[in-house]
Amino acid sequence: MAAFGYWRGVALVAAVFLAILLFVPAWFDLFEVLQMTQYVVLAIYALSLAYIWGFGGIISFGQAGFFGLGGYAFAVISINMGETTVPFLLTIALCFAFAAVLGYFMFYGRLSDVYLGVVTLVVALIMWKLISHTAGPEYAIGKARLGGFNGIPSIPIMQVPFTDREMDPGEMFQYFMGLLIFVYLLLHVLIRSKFGRIAISIRENEVRTGLLGYDIRRYKLMVFSIGGALGGASGAMWATYQTFIDPNAFSLEMSAKCLIWVMAGGVGTLVGPIVGVVALQYLSLKLGETAFMNNLVILGIVLVLLVLLMPRGIVPTLHDWLRKALALARQPSRRGAP
Amino acid sequence: MNAASGSILATSSLTMRFGGVVAVDNVDFSLAPGELRCLIGPNGAGKSTFFKCLTGQLRPSSGSILFDGEEIGGRHTHEIVARGIGIKTQVPNLFEGLSAYENVSLAASRRNRADRAAEIAGEMLELMQIPEIAGEAVGTLAHGQRQLVELAMVLAGRPRLVLLDEPAAGMAGEERARLAGVVRSLAGDNTLIVVEHDMDFIKDIASTVTVFHRGRIFIEGHVEEIMAHSEVQEIYLGKETNAAA
Repeated sequence: MAAFGYWRGVALVAAVFLAILLFVPAWFDLFEVLQMTQYVVLAIYALSLAYIWGFGGIISFGQAGFFGLGGYAFAVISINMGETTVPFLLTIALCFAFAAVLGYFMFYGRLSDVYLGVVTLVVALIMWKLISHTAGPEYAIGKARLGGFNGIPSIPIMQVPFTDREMDPGEMFQYFMGLLIFVYLLLHVLIRSKFGRIAISIRENEVRTGLLGYDIRRYKLMVFSIGGALGGASGAMWATYQTFIDPNAFSLEMSAKCLIWVMAGGVGTLVGPIVGVVALQYLSLKLGETAFMNNLVILGIVLVLLVLLMPRGIVPTLHDWLRKALALARQPSRRGAP
Repeated sequence: MNAASGSILATSSLTMRFGGVVAVDNVDFSLAPGELRCLIGPNGAGKSTFFKCLTGQLRPSSGSILFDGEEIGGRHTHEIVARGIGIKTQVPNLFEGLSAYENVSLAASRRNRADRAAEIAGEMLELMQIPEIAGEAVGTLAHGQRQLVELAMVLAGRPRLVLLDEPAAGMAGEERARLAGVVRSLAGDNTLIVVEHDMDFIKDIASTVTVFHRGRIFIEGHVEEIMAHSEVQEIYLGKETNAAA
């Protein structure tokens, strides 16, 4: 029964996403569609961290390393190949492999907790530094010049898979939204599988899981690699959405934002980080339109309030409130009782 | 004494150093298949460190550990557990948010399909005589019940050598007697090493006792003989300290 309730909740969320996929391009203007496409891409980026943190207990302070690598890999491969389908798949594979190699040294080197987070942060910052120093014409991979701080312009727009027809903004929104639904469902299947339950048990009690005979390094490596692949996929989507990528994709700000979205939405959920992205990005956008106060200051205040009032995140807190309200509503009225 | 032939576990010159502190010092220890051995010794004698070396939680500084004739010293925990060693740790190590049944089922599922793991979980909780708490979250259970749940988890993995680190700690009379019965019933089919401080519990379950002191094996022998040994009483029961006071 519990499993049925779980999947019913997942199906409900997926149905809402599907409705958004179907109706947004028809009901909203171009600017709004583009804005929502951005939220969708960043939602997949947030899910990459939400999965490894919430369901594997791995905190990455440098998730932007995968985001940036995905963006640059997609830019270089798609510019050289002149299409987007195979480059997108190759980018995901490359980021998976990069995460696997990095993860191998971290997990098999018995790094854990905050040290692991620091290593991921340092790796992302090294990548940012390296890519920022590629300004000269000698820094080119095939036809793609890396461009240093100026980044790579003219990245191909995402094409309808296995064709050379470029997607219009509405189609791109629907394609990315479809990918978000796919990732959301895939992660739920993974979480509910035996593999997922063991990954969660590692998060809950690493020592006991090891003493039950599970190779915790292997499970953590797999979880981290999946997170890396998702982070890379979102970076590729970001690059084709903007038709541009620059070193800021690797920046501390990109890593920090991801942590904030996941934390604000709720660690240990998949809907939470998506809500976190939409709420905070929308807020940033609206604050940017006002001249009342520096929007980063207001955003900071909002985050402090969120942490104080909803320490578990938006979605888990709202879920608790809803459950309590339903429980109250189900209780028979005692107004007339003596 | 060197590693005895025919033993299921034999350590030879096993040493574990933490900087300048030698927690386990040249320990030669052997155990026959089906034997139930108790380890006693004052706090800091090296018993738990010895267990951690056996289970791969610590990599020994030197020496060897043969389990069933195979060297396991320095191997990873999961490899050692897969070879058939299970441990109940000193402080119960459980998945707090899960029920007792789910904890044991998770332990059984490493080697079994889900339906068989569920059966084993039920059997183990029956064996511990705690089927009534199967659905309760272990975070809400009393310490003694948590000890039994962890023991059920260990046994669900079907280990050939079971290490129990202070299994009776925090248990009341009836609960402790029940645990003693369970431990006695395991001996023979399983090989067990039990670290314990409760001498009445030790007398209930074991005939052979090994005394650890300052990281070394001080003496081994029959439980009555050990308890009557004046030097053991001095180092273990603190008569030296009492006399001085």
